[in-house]
Amino acid sequence: MAFRRTGTSALLALLTLGAFALGTVSARAARLVTDLSQHQVSIRSNFTGTEILLFGAVEAPQAERAVDRDIIVVVTGPTRTVKVRRKEQMAGIWVNHDSVTYPNVPGYHAIASTRPLEVIASPETLREQRIGIENYEFGDAVATGIDGTQEFLPPDTERDFWKALIRNKRRDGLYLTDPGGVIFLGQTLFRATLDLPATVPVGLYTAKVYLLKDGKVVDTISSPLYIDKGGIERFIYRLAYNNALLYGLIAVIGAAFFGWLASAVLGRR
Amino acid sequence: MQIYLPIAEIPVNVLTILAMGLTVGFLSGMFGIGGGFLMTPLLIFLGIPPAIAVGTQSTSVVASSVTGALAHFARRSIDFKMGGVLLAGGTAGSLSGIYLFKLLSSIGQVDLMISIIYVVFLTIIGGLMMVESVQAIRAARNGGTGGRARGRGHHSWIHGLPFKMRFRRSKLYISVIPPILVGYFVGTLSAIMGVGGGFIMIPAMIYLLRMPTSVVIGTSFFQIVFVTALTGVMHAYENQAVDIVLGFILVIGGAVGAQFGVRVGEKLQGEQVRALLAALLLVIGVRLGIDLISRPDDLYSIVVMSSGN
Repeated sequence: MAFRRTGTSALLALLTLGAFALGTVSARAARLVTDLSQHQVSIRSNFTGTEILLFGAVEAPQAERAVDRDIIVVVTGPTRTVKVRRKEQMAGIWVNHDSVTYPNVPGYHAIASTRPLEVIASPETLREQRIGIENYEFGDAVATGIDGTQEFLPPDTERDFWKALIRNKRRDGLYLTDPGGVIFLGQTLFRATLDLPATVPVGLYTAKVYLLKDGKVVDTISSPLYIDKGGIERFIYRLAYNNALLYGLIAVIGAAFFGWLASAVLGRR
Repeated sequence: MQIYLPIAEIPVNVLTILAMGLTVGFLSGMFGIGGGFLMTPLLIFLGIPPAIAVGTQSTSVVASSVTGALAHFARRSIDFKMGGVLLAGGTAGSLSGIYLFKLLSSIGQVDLMISIIYVVFLTIIGGLMMVESVQAIRAARNGGTGGRARGRGHHSWIHGLPFKMRFRRSKLYISVIPPILVGYFVGTLSAIMGVGGGFIMIPAMIYLLRMPTSVVIGTSFFQIVFVTALTGVMHAYENQAVDIVLGFILVIGGAVGAQFGVRVGEKLQGEQVRALLAALLLVIGVRLGIDLISRPDDLYSIVVMSSGN
């Protein structure tokens, strides 16, 4: 990949000597420049989800035609271990039965593009570049039966768990696809907005932008995005996880105090 | 007006939660019940994770039971000795309930267990109360006094048990085994259901231990204060299942609602109030039961295992 790019660059450099005179573009092939509206999102008590604006430009030699240029934006959240459970009916009641655990599941995954992915590039290219949730590696799946022992599931059955994982994440608004979500403003400028629902996990996110020409990836660029709890939410969360006993005592003593307060107010009445 | 809950990690409408707190507080004031078994299912219906609904609810029961216990302390209607014995059982019960909760959540069956226990208890207690109150209403209509002859069973099997102890306030001389078992059972339920457990303990104290009605409610409040306090701390410590922001809203709503509930409850007739409460319990129980047996929209569910900070 890098090989081809340098080769193309050299060729273009020769062909577009004239462009040097302008002094605005490099001798390389089309190149991406991007930024995010914010690199840090802080979840506070009034957080009900937010939007991230990604904007950028394609720096290209003037001679290069701007047609057949596509942009794909992929925002990926921190990965976690996720267990997918399937219910089965036992004695008339729906009970969680088999489960499959995936060690490496992104908590958030959004794709925006200028056109639908299947139009932009071939399935092979998308697979090679790992673009699209279908091409994301969730890691080695481990299947467990209701009795807690590991078991082997036929590939088709396991595929159903995998599909269910993506379906559930989509339903929660955590996996998104927005074909047409990247809009070109003129020849070089583009922008994309991505929805972050209220339930986004905290952690380090990456926004990766792909520039494609004629179905081939020409350039990529990544920017980090950090999502964290802020203010009092962060304080409470930290306390609950790092000083669980103290947190529990505060909660209970606080409740007891309110109970006393209520009775004191009542008694005076 | 949305607020983001730091532990449940979802935004909720403050007014919805406040209204729920008010309503359940009103009902608990009117019927003289803790209200935990109404609030926990409501929170789950609202989308709060069941573990957090249970953990948070146990802490807010602390608030309402402290208010109740203080009122009864002023009226000297608490049998501290009996309360202490019930508490000993309750402590052990709460700890085993927390352990069971943790075990079941690790194998993914805790939601199922909470639902089943709710269905069983709500329908049984609702059914029994309904039958009893309808009979009482009929008796009153037929010109009866409504007072049932509740003879004190002097030949109960309970009197054959060892480790007898004298409970002066309750005018009882009985073995400590039944109160410890009652306390243990209620403590376990408290940890699993996020309730005080008065709806089990009060009938058990009246019909099983044969305590005088005058000390039953105060003593049960006394036990509930300490058992739910322990349960709340343990849910926070072991399961990170207490959302202090959610708890705060519930406590405020509950305290205000209970004031109005008590006043309305005083004006209603006992049997009718009981029949109403029984109907409410049956409705919630049946609703939860239907959820258990109807096919879920999606058979698959996901749970994020490791959650760091």
